[in-house]
Amino acid sequence: MHVTLNPTETIQQLGTSVSVRDLDFSYGSSPALKDISVEIPAKGVTAFIGPSGCGKSTLLRCINRMNDEIPGTRITRGKIEIGGIDIYDSSVDVVKLRRDVGMVFQKSNPFPRSIYENAAYGLRLRGERNKTVIDEAVEKSLQAAALWDEVKDRLQESALGLSGGQQQRLCIARTIAVQPQVVLMDEPCSALDPIATVKVEELIWDLKHEYTFVIVTHNMQQAARVSDKTAFFYMGELIEFGDTSKIFSNPRVKQTEDYITGRFG
Amino acid sequence: MNSQHIFRDFDKAIDALKGEVITMASLARQNLERAMRSLLERDIDLARTVIADDSDVDDLERKIDQAGMDILVRFHPMASDLRLVITSMKMAHNLERISDHAVTIAKRSKKICKSSPLEEASLAEPLYSMADSILRDALTAYTDSNAELGESLKARDKELDQLHKQMISSLSARLEDSNGRAENLLHLIFVARSIERIGDLAVNMGEDAVFLGEARDIRHDHRKPSSQKPTLLG
Repeated sequence: MHVTLNPTETIQQLGTSVSVRDLDFSYGSSPALKDISVEIPAKGVTAFIGPSGCGKSTLLRCINRMNDEIPGTRITRGKIEIGGIDIYDSSVDVVKLRRDVGMVFQKSNPFPRSIYENAAYGLRLRGERNKTVIDEAVEKSLQAAALWDEVKDRLQESALGLSGGQQQRLCIARTIAVQPQVVLMDEPCSALDPIATVKVEELIWDLKHEYTFVIVTHNMQQAARVSDKTAFFYMGELIEFGDTSKIFSNPRVKQTEDYITGRFG
Repeated sequence: MNSQHIFRDFDKAIDALKGEVITMASLARQNLERAMRSLLERDIDLARTVIADDSDVDDLERKIDQAGMDILVRFHPMASDLRLVITSMKMAHNLERISDHAVTIAKRSKKICKSSPLEEASLAEPLYSMADSILRDALTAYTDSNAELGESLKARDKELDQLHKQMISSLSARLEDSNGRAENLLHLIFVARSIERIGDLAVNMGEDAVFLGEARDIRHDHRKPSSQKPTLLG
């Protein structure tokens, strides 16, 4: 029998949503993550920052086992628990895991279908047939993604006709329509203009009380604006993790200070 | 910060900002020194120079604010860099007020110098020496990001306050038997008041240096509820 992640009550009891413990991860023989331990709190926003190749996206992809798709990659030590469940346990259904731990990518990737079908996609995938239930979920997720007012009169039009910012918000709506516990975001605003970026950031801010967000960003101001906690990575190691306000005003470790003040290298 | 910024312009901009603050501090201290000398040496021309030169300090305050805002807009500084920009702008504000007090002293000096010599003027000298010493250390605390030095200034300002009280009490006693010198003695009381305020402004600058060096905000610490203070019971 496959295990899905525990309900929210368990997460609240544990007081943490994602727990990474002593994690080592390799691409073939190259270690990409070394001895990572971090407790990502539930219902808030945690930002991963660091220079390219530091391991932040690798860790993000470990959280919903996206790295499983890359040949030769493996976790050599440690584990990741969500709500107390070891997500790399053989009993975990990876498809269901990825429903509970949704992901929004750097480039918006709506399916070449209608706006409605994009938002309904996850529900249909899990076997939902009741149109009323799907209609309600589509409206709710589009409203939560602050997109409803812009698309409610053209739900049957192609999602590809939306602007880049709208497409990204549609992808967020598609992710949250299935009510995941964790939403992973890999540079979700890097291809958006400032106004679309603000809309996505406001969306994250509004939804953070309902979901646990983990966001990878190269934009330090964005990390400072949207996140409650920040983790700084360098060469596969977690250098510092703490309250965002503290990390960006008075970091404990010199490497963090050097990176956020632009003196790295 | 020792290592170079990825934007070379940032280092140039921040060095220029700090340089302007140091220049402004030199001018403000020079104005204060000349205002006091005009009082002690009865030099009306020197007092006039102080009043005229204050506009240079005002110009620098505007320049520093503009440079600080430009850095914020262009580079979005973080952590110690952000604190340096904010502290530099606050230093400029305090230095402008110090120079204003130098002008007040110069104006009072001009009036005192128009009458016969006032022997009590020398009472202001030790007060000035102490205030200038606190001011000098506040500037060192800023340039060196020396939080320990910045934090130590409050205690020394209390000594200055004590000396100020003694001077006021001495001048007040003389007011009763002033033989027509009452107006000049009142001018001197205002001079003492300005020097005492300069001490307060230097303490503010020391507090800003603590923020710069260690990101601690020690302002208004005396007003914090007693429960926040450490106790013997921990």
